[in-house]
Amino acid sequence: MAWIKLDPITRRRFARFRKIKRGYYALLILLAAMVLSIFAPFLAESRALMVSYQGKWYFPTFSYVSMAAFQQTPPPGWQAVDLETDYFRLQREWRLERTLYERARAQTGSDAAALDAKYPNRGNYVVMPVIPWDPYQSDFWYNEILNDVGVLLKADDRIGAANLARRDHLDELADAIESGAIDDMLKDPTRSASGTLSGLAQGGTMPSLKDLTKTAPNPPDSHRAHYLGTDTQGRDVASRLLYGFRISIFFSLFLVIAGQVIGTFIGSLQGYFGGVFDIISQRAIEIIVSIPFLYVVIILAALIVPNFWMLLTIMALFQWIGITFYMRTEMYREKTKEYCLAAKSYGASHMRIIFRHLLPNCLTPLVTFTPFLVVGAIFSLTALDYLGYGLPAPTPSWGEMIDQALDAQNRTKLWLTFAPFTAITVTLLVVTFIGESVREAFDPKQYAKYE
Amino acid sequence: MRRFASAIFFVCALFVGHGAAFAAASDADVAKLVKDAVPVALPPDIIWETNNEDPLIGSEKALRGGRLTVSMGSYPLTLRLMGPNNNDAFANWNQQFTSGFGLVSRHPNTDHFIPMMATHWSVQADQQTIYFKLDKDARFSDGHPITADDYVFTWRMMQSKFIVDPFYNSYAEQYLRSVDKIDDYTLRIVGTRRSWRPLADYAGLWPTPRHATVLDDTWVDRTTNQPQIAPGPYVISDMVRGESITFKRVPNWWGDKKRYFIGQYNFDEIQIRIIQQDRELDYLRRGELDLMQEASARNWAEGYNFPAIQNGWIRRTRAFVDQPSGVSGFIMNLEAPIFQNRDFRIAMAHLFNFDRLNRNVMFNAYFRKRSFFDGTEFANPNVKPYEFDPAKAREHLALAGYRRPSDIGGHGFWANVRNAARGLIFARSDSDDVLVNEKGEPARFTVNYSAKSLERHLTVIQQDFRRAGIDMRLQLLEPGTSFQRSLERKFEMVFQGMTSGLYPSPRQYLHSEYKKERNNNNFWGFGTQEVDDLIKTYEESMDADARRDALWRVDQIVHDEGIYIPFWDAPFQRLVYWDYLQFPESFLPRRTEAYMYWMVYWIDPAKRKALEEAMRDNRALPAKDVDVDYFHVRDKLQ
Repeated sequence: MAWIKLDPITRRRFARFRKIKRGYYALLILLAAMVLSIFAPFLAESRALMVSYQGKWYFPTFSYVSMAAFQQTPPPGWQAVDLETDYFRLQREWRLERTLYERARAQTGSDAAALDAKYPNRGNYVVMPVIPWDPYQSDFWYNEILNDVGVLLKADDRIGAANLARRDHLDELADAIESGAIDDMLKDPTRSASGTLSGLAQGGTMPSLKDLTKTAPNPPDSHRAHYLGTDTQGRDVASRLLYGFRISIFFSLFLVIAGQVIGTFIGSLQGYFGGVFDIISQRAIEIIVSIPFLYVVIILAALIVPNFWMLLTIMALFQWIGITFYMRTEMYREKTKEYCLAAKSYGASHMRIIFRHLLPNCLTPLVTFTPFLVVGAIFSLTALDYLGYGLPAPTPSWGEMIDQALDAQNRTKLWLTFAPFTAITVTLLVVTFIGESVREAFDPKQYAKYE
Repeated sequence: MRRFASAIFFVCALFVGHGAAFAAASDADVAKLVKDAVPVALPPDIIWETNNEDPLIGSEKALRGGRLTVSMGSYPLTLRLMGPNNNDAFANWNQQFTSGFGLVSRHPNTDHFIPMMATHWSVQADQQTIYFKLDKDARFSDGHPITADDYVFTWRMMQSKFIVDPFYNSYAEQYLRSVDKIDDYTLRIVGTRRSWRPLADYAGLWPTPRHATVLDDTWVDRTTNQPQIAPGPYVISDMVRGESITFKRVPNWWGDKKRYFIGQYNFDEIQIRIIQQDRELDYLRRGELDLMQEASARNWAEGYNFPAIQNGWIRRTRAFVDQPSGVSGFIMNLEAPIFQNRDFRIAMAHLFNFDRLNRNVMFNAYFRKRSFFDGTEFANPNVKPYEFDPAKAREHLALAGYRRPSDIGGHGFWANVRNAARGLIFARSDSDDVLVNEKGEPARFTVNYSAKSLERHLTVIQQDFRRAGIDMRLQLLEPGTSFQRSLERKFEMVFQGMTSGLYPSPRQYLHSEYKKERNNNNFWGFGTQEVDDLIKTYEESMDADARRDALWRVDQIVHDEGIYIPFWDAPFQRLVYWDYLQFPESFLPRRTEAYMYWMVYWIDPAKRKALEEAMRDNRALPAKDVDVDYFHVRDKLQ
């Protein structure tokens, strides 16, 4: 608002806003969250922040590095040459090498040179973001790992099987495989009804395996870095929540700003010029208002794949109307005042009078309504996603998360419900606090006394 | 999707049964409808056929009596079986219980034709004229005998504009040249063309009570909520709008004396309650339902561990049945530039990891479809879907000219800055690892789908594709729109299912006559001379082996061309029911489309008493197997 010179009253209003602590802190929290969410790729990504490999540093957050660069073995059936590195696995593989190396070193009579050659990656390391998952990635580890270990066991690759288990922190299982105790466990029908590792996990005699062989959604688990659990496709809830916040808050901000700018412009012209222009444009607005906006979006979504900007444009076409009514009445009132006549008599152009002289005195409705419109916009995007007509799958979105949580089949998976509902409640609460405080700060009846 | 597809396309209308409504019939109306029925005579040397040797459909152990309570999702819009709104879930029940009784039927276990409304039939050498001897015992539910006039009337009614039903109008035109009465209990049907399956094509006609039907322009409105007079064992006895519909057994039903109805239709009363699908189990556990079908694999895997199940009071069974499953999977549009390359199509098939999906998203509950004609004798046993094999996919992609872009990861400074900036706005910044061909076009296409629940499967597939460098995008469309686009071939890939009958109809899908035009079921835009010839052989040859070999070859060609990635098959019914409900050894007949077909189960009062005692004493009943595969369907699929 640099182009508007703030008059002392407005400045006083901002000062008043700062004094209302609830709103002021809510604003700080929201701004902090927005800034943080811009940097979401550094907080939640499957790509590492940094990889140190043979003395060289890589920063793969925004670029593609293939498995070949780190000599990572590809998943079964794939070829390594040009697959993207699986950094989460890489981190665990290198960590495992360090562990094995140290264990071997501790044994007496170990040959240092041979060990160095055997564990070449022990000095390399990977720094992952706090949440090492991107919002699109399905993690089926819980259901798959025992199969993978079982395949190696069957091929009698005991060292490989034990290492695989140890890599993923299944130490109890790894010890059992290394000591050979696993054979007796699998043969014992009281421990494993089916004679397989899955049976062992389901039998419950090895408590560290109790979460395995479970199909997604899986509950929160810090070992696997799913701090809020996974959704029905095995995707990380925390990561989707973060990216969902980023999309919905920026979407609604862009939307509200676009809507308010257009609405203010049109409303001001209506109020300022009045007469025939006002009457005709009011009728036009009435026609647009009577179109149910949600249906229009749903119909359009059926015809085109809506992307971020397209959805924004469609929704902005309906967003600007609300504010025009208020700006129009404000202008009607202000244009009769003396300072407006004075500006006219000096020969100022219409545009200059409207935007330079009148608008700064009409800001109250604009400022007080905006935060509530943000709430509304977040809500409508969530609603559209919930209905499946928002941004296309697999875009992370709160609406889609709520949809999963409300599915009758997921009634018992509380983490699915908890995460998006808490997030949406907190966000809307924060924005509402801001809105209330702004309204209070701009209230002309500040000093009125009622007795 | 499936239901929707079948709603639009009646691929096979074998056992469609349809009723009519009763009203005071005036002779003039009837006369108008049958006036040009010219008497015809039987050929002198006629040889009658019948079949009373096949095994029973039901069980001789079945007990008559009791009341079965089941549920459906929504109250029907109409009780009519012709005319508007007659194709909802309720129509299935209504047909099975009241009017769906054709002249002959097909035995669900042996596929042989067996008598139903006619005791004998005779197919003439022209393969389109059939004579029928009607069952003289047959009666409508009002006691009126069923005669040849009632069949002629049905045919006339199908052609009538009064029924406002384009499907039956065109069905009558396409299939039936004439339906003639010879005497009260002898009928002749002439089909429109020579067919190697005349009984299947032309003998599905059912009787309509001519004496109680007035056909005029008020017929549709008048009969919308009228229960019908019908040849079947049940009539609708009670309706509570929005809550329930009750069928009551016809006293001394004529069919009770007939061999193939033994052990069928055992309940005195069947009540269908309107209950939301995800609440069915709650009602069943409260004892308000006797039987339900479980639609969700997740519930089946995780939801059945409550005490009543563990104690065997409530049973659940996954009964395997052998049903034609139609075409269901990813359909590629050969007119889309990206799918014109055969190697590219086959690479897509090799990247589809069904097993991983089944294990992790579908609870291992489903089976891979294998063929274009699954569940029929025309499925080529040597055709197996392409295995998940990224290495082979890579070879085919290389043949198709696709490779990783050469500048991958090697951007200039500004490109890196731009990439980072985009990364800060959107979740993923790059598409630089997507494969490109020589012209620099990325390997990118859009998949249309029409049910939100499919997102779970598609996003997982999407990740495998993306890892291989294929950018597969998803577009959820409203089912009608999605299907319309498929018909008009305005798509790149679509996930879609189409139903099939026992005799597949490949012409509509693969014949080149539909290739040039749009708005037909040839979604692929496929057509070659070889396949055209094979379809002609299949449709016209009188040699069963030649027909089978022709479709086996078509199956092979579809596979080799890679125009379709077959997805899942669910050849079973998942049923949950109280222990007193008894089933035959085979559980359901082999060809069972839905559990209300054939109705071979019954309530055993002794079992009910035992169950009540067990529940009172909190005692478990002996355990039973969950999976029943009497017909070895699973072996064929694994």
